[in-house]
Amino acid sequence: MLEVSGLTVDYVLDRGNVRAVDDVSFTVGRGEFLGIVGESGCGKSTLLFAVAQLLAPPAAVAAGTVTFEGTNLVGLTDEQLSAMRWRDMSLVMQSAMNALNPVTSIGAQFKDAMRAHGKFTGEEIAARSAEVLTMVGIDPVHLRSYPHQLSGGMRQRSMIAMAMLFTPDLIIMDEPTSALDVVAQRSLMVQIKELQLEFGFAVIFVTHDMSLISHFSDRLMVMYAGQVAEFGATKSIFDRPLHPYTKGLLEAFPSIRGPRVPLKGIPGNPPDLSRVPSGCRFRPRCPYAIDKCAELTPELYPLDGDLVRCLRRADGSLAS
Amino acid sequence: MTDDLPRTQLLKAEHLTRHFKIGGTLSRRTLHAVDDVSFAIGEREIVALAGESGSGKSTIARMLAQVYKPTSGEVFFEGKPLSSMTSRQEKLRYSGLVPMVFQDPFSSINPVFRVQHGVLRCLKLHRPSLSAAQRLEEAARVFEVVGLNPDMLQRFPYELSGGQRQRVGFAQALAMRPKLILADEPVSMLDVSIRIGLLNLMAKLRDEEGASILYITHDIASARYVADRLIVMYAGHIAETGPIEDVLSHPRHPYTQLLLSAVPDPRAPLSVAAETDRGEPPRVIDPAPGCLFRWRCPLAIDTCAQVTPVLAELRPAAPAGGSGGVVPPGKHLAACHVAQTSPEEVKAFS
Amino acid sequence: MALPVSGVPTTEAPAAQAPAAHGLARIGRAVRLNRKATVGSVLLLIFILIALFPGVIAHDSPTQDAYAPQLGVSTAHLLGTNHYGQDLFAQLVYGTRNVLIIAFVVGLATTMIAVLIGVAAAYLGGMADSSLNVVTDVLLVIPIFPLLIVIAAYAHGGTTLVLIAAITLTSWSYTARQLRSQALTLRRRDFLEAARVRGERALYIIVVELIPTMTSLLVAAFLTNALYAVLFASSLQFIGLGDPNTVSWGTTLYWAQNNAALQTGQPLWAIAPGACIAVLGAAFALLNYAFDEIGNPALRPVRKVRQKKEGSQQRAEK
Repeated sequence: MLEVSGLTVDYVLDRGNVRAVDDVSFTVGRGEFLGIVGESGCGKSTLLFAVAQLLAPPAAVAAGTVTFEGTNLVGLTDEQLSAMRWRDMSLVMQSAMNALNPVTSIGAQFKDAMRAHGKFTGEEIAARSAEVLTMVGIDPVHLRSYPHQLSGGMRQRSMIAMAMLFTPDLIIMDEPTSALDVVAQRSLMVQIKELQLEFGFAVIFVTHDMSLISHFSDRLMVMYAGQVAEFGATKSIFDRPLHPYTKGLLEAFPSIRGPRVPLKGIPGNPPDLSRVPSGCRFRPRCPYAIDKCAELTPELYPLDGDLVRCLRRADGSLAS
Repeated sequence: MTDDLPRTQLLKAEHLTRHFKIGGTLSRRTLHAVDDVSFAIGEREIVALAGESGSGKSTIARMLAQVYKPTSGEVFFEGKPLSSMTSRQEKLRYSGLVPMVFQDPFSSINPVFRVQHGVLRCLKLHRPSLSAAQRLEEAARVFEVVGLNPDMLQRFPYELSGGQRQRVGFAQALAMRPKLILADEPVSMLDVSIRIGLLNLMAKLRDEEGASILYITHDIASARYVADRLIVMYAGHIAETGPIEDVLSHPRHPYTQLLLSAVPDPRAPLSVAAETDRGEPPRVIDPAPGCLFRWRCPLAIDTCAQVTPVLAELRPAAPAGGSGGVVPPGKHLAACHVAQTSPEEVKAFS
Repeated sequence: MALPVSGVPTTEAPAAQAPAAHGLARIGRAVRLNRKATVGSVLLLIFILIALFPGVIAHDSPTQDAYAPQLGVSTAHLLGTNHYGQDLFAQLVYGTRNVLIIAFVVGLATTMIAVLIGVAAAYLGGMADSSLNVVTDVLLVIPIFPLLIVIAAYAHGGTTLVLIAAITLTSWSYTARQLRSQALTLRRRDFLEAARVRGERALYIIVVELIPTMTSLLVAAFLTNALYAVLFASSLQFIGLGDPNTVSWGTTLYWAQNNAALQTGQPLWAIAPGACIAVLGAAFALLNYAFDEIGNPALRPVRKVRQKKEGSQQRAEK
């Protein structure tokens, strides 16, 4: 349903181009839940905006295609895109407080969204708005509420409800739970999964917290420094992380249960994208790096059903 | 009620309360941010103060930092009440012994000055006997202790990463030779793989520099990693407190159980307990007596709606092992009628 | 969290390895790169040079009526002479000093008063804020020009000092309001609370920690006030409330008006000083825009982005 191929996004700056997303390819099938995981600066949010065709200068797609239900979205005009937007693909942003208009009620914003993408009567709008709010577990009386009158969890839910107004085939979510506390976060994740199973839409979920989506995503894409580091079924990545970065990330989560062990995290910092290291981008922080890693730039290699960007995995010199 | 510690008590909070007036000037409504909170912090220990937003944990930190005055109740530091510190001298001394580290690495350092500015100011204010050259030396020393290269002193904040900036925050605190560091969610805005480095630093400050830390967080897993004792807050009250291993392995308050069940753990199967709970902590405005958790609690009984529960000991604590041998045998207390009256452990959320 | 769309992608990594060139060097580079800043600063520099070394450019005295009156433009008199036989070009050149002095002194004084009152009000809050606001608002509401007329008339015709004082007195309140609003939003920043918690005094925090973070606002305030000072001063001089014997652009206009220059076929006498005022005003305005853009990258003009041919033929939006 969605096929991203070779997508590359550059930021055009005074001091030169910065490649925020470098040759990323993946597919999302109907009803699939794809998780994209990475830290700040890895390009995951830029990737998301590139897929949704929401990039603004100085960022722009430099190469690649985004084929959604047969049509390449890159290069379409705004009119062509708006026919597809919200009806077939919608977006949930990171912070509802930033995305919702603070001076209009929720109901008015739903009305705006519906009017922008189709012709409906007042009753149809009211009925559908009440319906989607109920779907996410909010009493429809809150259509009259303003965003600041709702709690954080309720605001995020109303964002999701707004994204579901036309029951799109794909909903893209950019860290929708990061502003929430842990209990609200859990309940929102469960709700999203339930809705997904009931209505059959696909989800691309971007987060920096791997453990959050471990129970929800079907497949997982780990990004580092603008590239895909590892890509595969969620379960197999958690059980058997192939890329040293994924391994490092998983080990950076202290556990509630089990023995208390000292952890190390991943030393160093992600690279400055305007000055990436030669060879493998993770090499300066990798405990398994050898000389070859500085000379050759690794591609994505298939291994045991997953894709991993690591020379030592590809040639088998790094045992699992 | 406070839990007794054999160690020297550094700081003791007794019946700390903080209310805020809300609404217009004519309104009489008060927000009960913190209600009747009592606890103690000993030397060389890390106490985690955990809770969701609105639980009052940040307000407590600010009362301890003397940013807010308590509406009632008292804080004792080394035996002396804070309200008796009226002179600028006394307040200055206290602020050096009990400094605060802030949550947001991107706004907690002044962007127009070099990074050394804050550290040097701390030294100038709190250790006036040092000469200018000695101040620079000391700044370099504390930078090394927190894991920063001393030549970073000359950098500007925008050249540093979030993790490095938080280390600068700890360096500033360390420069004043603190007894207790108030760390207000110091890692929540950092990437996950960077957090461990900062948590390890906090443990090092406890072990090698002899500082205690009040670690305020909403992330129980990180609290477990670094803290000795845990205080769980809900809606301005303490729900449960005790040695951290004890509380986490035998949570007695239903809210603690709910929190634990909601923590994402890839190694454990998905718990369904938190599904029905919408995760809405209350805003406590002019509350009536009774337990504030009762609307979300599957175990609520009549008493819960009538009497506000107080912290009481539930069972004698067994010294929990496995954390380097430095574990204070404290008592495990919970404020729950059901937990206090039932003979064995009851599970509200699994 | 990272900025997704417009703006530089934030990374966890440090932005530069070596300590960046800061302060003046950075401003210098920014001025060279920004076209508005370059034009504005060049113009301003020309005026400053003229003010500093008038004798180098204009060889005649501005006040001596040494020539035949109403001469036209020639190489000896670049703008001709006026009704009194004074060289017009010399008048404008020597008048630049008076205008620039007024502009800079008023700009500086207004900004300083506005900073002290506005920022202190915002930071201190409570009673201090309320009382300072009363003072500011009262002055804000009074219309500036009539007040200026009253003051200047009361002072029996303004020497330059009187003009400066009068304009400063009536202009600071607007900027104080602006700066107070900005300071209110900055007040919540953690580093100010950090300074408070480590035991700094309020005055120290306001002057050392808060105000330096507002420099771009202060520069904007200075430039705006300098611009308005030029306009107000020239207007006052034009209607005769300045000292008519001062050599300044406004007074030249005054004499031109008095002698009905436009009607009697000496248009340059009226137009030239007006043009000077306009150009100096434009210089200040350009610099103001430029500093806005330098301070806030979001306002900078954006370049087109060209896409690689293998992906698509489309050019990205501007």
